[in-house]
Amino acid sequence: MTGIIVLIVILAAIAVAILAIAVGYYNAIVSTRNKVDNAWHQIDVQLRKRYDLIPNLVETVKGYAAHERETLRKVVEARNFGINAQSVKEQQDAENMLTGTLKSLFALSERYPNLKADQHFSRLMEQLNGIESNIAYARQFYNDMVMKYNTRIQTFPGKLFASMFNFSGRDYFEIEEESARRPVKVEF
Amino acid sequence: MYEHIGKNRAKTYLIIIGFLVFIAAIGYFVGLYLDYQYGVRGEYSILLLGFALAIAVIMSFASYYYSDRLVLSLTRARPISRQENPRVYYMVEGLSIAAGMPMPKIYMVEDRGLNAFATGRNPQHGVIGFTRGLLDSLNDEELKGVIAHELSHIKNYDILLGTVIVVLVGMVTIVSNILLRMFIFGGRRRSSSRSGGGLISLILMIVGLVLILLSPLIAAIIRFAVSRNREYLADSSGALVTRYPAGLASALEKIKGRSAVNTANSATAHLFISNPIGKKNRAMFKNLFNTHPPVEERIKRLKEMSLGVGT
Repeated sequence: MTGIIVLIVILAAIAVAILAIAVGYYNAIVSTRNKVDNAWHQIDVQLRKRYDLIPNLVETVKGYAAHERETLRKVVEARNFGINAQSVKEQQDAENMLTGTLKSLFALSERYPNLKADQHFSRLMEQLNGIESNIAYARQFYNDMVMKYNTRIQTFPGKLFASMFNFSGRDYFEIEEESARRPVKVEF
Repeated sequence: MYEHIGKNRAKTYLIIIGFLVFIAAIGYFVGLYLDYQYGVRGEYSILLLGFALAIAVIMSFASYYYSDRLVLSLTRARPISRQENPRVYYMVEGLSIAAGMPMPKIYMVEDRGLNAFATGRNPQHGVIGFTRGLLDSLNDEELKGVIAHELSHIKNYDILLGTVIVVLVGMVTIVSNILLRMFIFGGRRRSSSRSGGGLISLILMIVGLVLILLSPLIAAIIRFAVSRNREYLADSSGALVTRYPAGLASALEKIKGRSAVNTANSATAHLFISNPIGKKNRAMFKNLFNTHPPVEERIKRLKEMSLGVGT
């Protein structure tokens, strides 16, 4: 009789211990996931800043180079695509598109000395450069957090609890910039 | 990392408590001394104990909330805006995003020396200061390295401890200097009619005197204890943010030997990235309590980091 009671007590203690560990892991995973969400929000803040700047930029360029309609249209299109993006993947594609079209816009400005000399234009460019480096930093922070989160739910024993509570990994925010991927060419 | 933050907080509380005890003890000993001088029992000692404790509590609160302003005015730093220096502004903004922390305020000290410091009680009230010499001499990668180093100090709560120490240790030094003079010069006025005011109070007086004599040493040791390892830690976590340890290494190389700042003194020295006390102002004795690890060693560690695996 006493043997059974002891057994029940031991089993109950083990159950309580497992429950406590599960709660601990659950909370840790949720707190890391919240950090990922917060990091994503930081990227979003910077991206919005850039979207807000673009109409202004397009207007300024129009004043000097109205007939470059095709380039301007592409910039606006990429911006709208980015604003409406839903997932990390979509946002990523939109950003790569926007970065590409903005590059051709800057290339274009090289051909218009009056535009390059414009005070307003150069201030916009300065802001845009600042925001662009901020986007890169925000992306770095986001990817750091995603790595932390994914590691937490992919390693043992976090993996057990992650599958128990249906936590899934997050996507990295990656750049598809060709110049960054291409091996450096050395010419003699 | 979190362990380090916890330690810094605990150390801050410990120092504040130590400060309270120290000041209260000094008040009590001075009271005992006066009791003995005027031949009364426990009137001055209780009064001064209460008085000293009240002052110490007020000082502790003040040092928590206002010491960053004190540091800024001591070093004669002034705020700089985005319009004034967009380069630094965007760098600080970007790197704070990368470190995942609120953007600190940016200050500048008009000095040709190459140095930087951080202060504030928490990341929400962080402040980074640069000398003009630093902003003018470093290239972008080097400056980013220095900014990331200072941001790490803010994130690690090194600044809370460092800034609170400025005020509290400074107070201890001042109080002990005053008391030392009082004992040396006040001793002569002791009336010869009073003899044997109690052996116990005499012993307490001697203990008090020893404590007072030791206090500058204690202050120096505290500063030493908080300052050296955390520089290595800030170097490495800063390099993790910029992903480029060579930037900070090259900045330290430039800063080396040119880091003297005129407005810095021994109370604020430990807040700077590299020792701001010029060689000619540095006494022999102070070298024993150097607040910063040797620059060569820091550069060496950073270079090892950049050679090491990926991260």
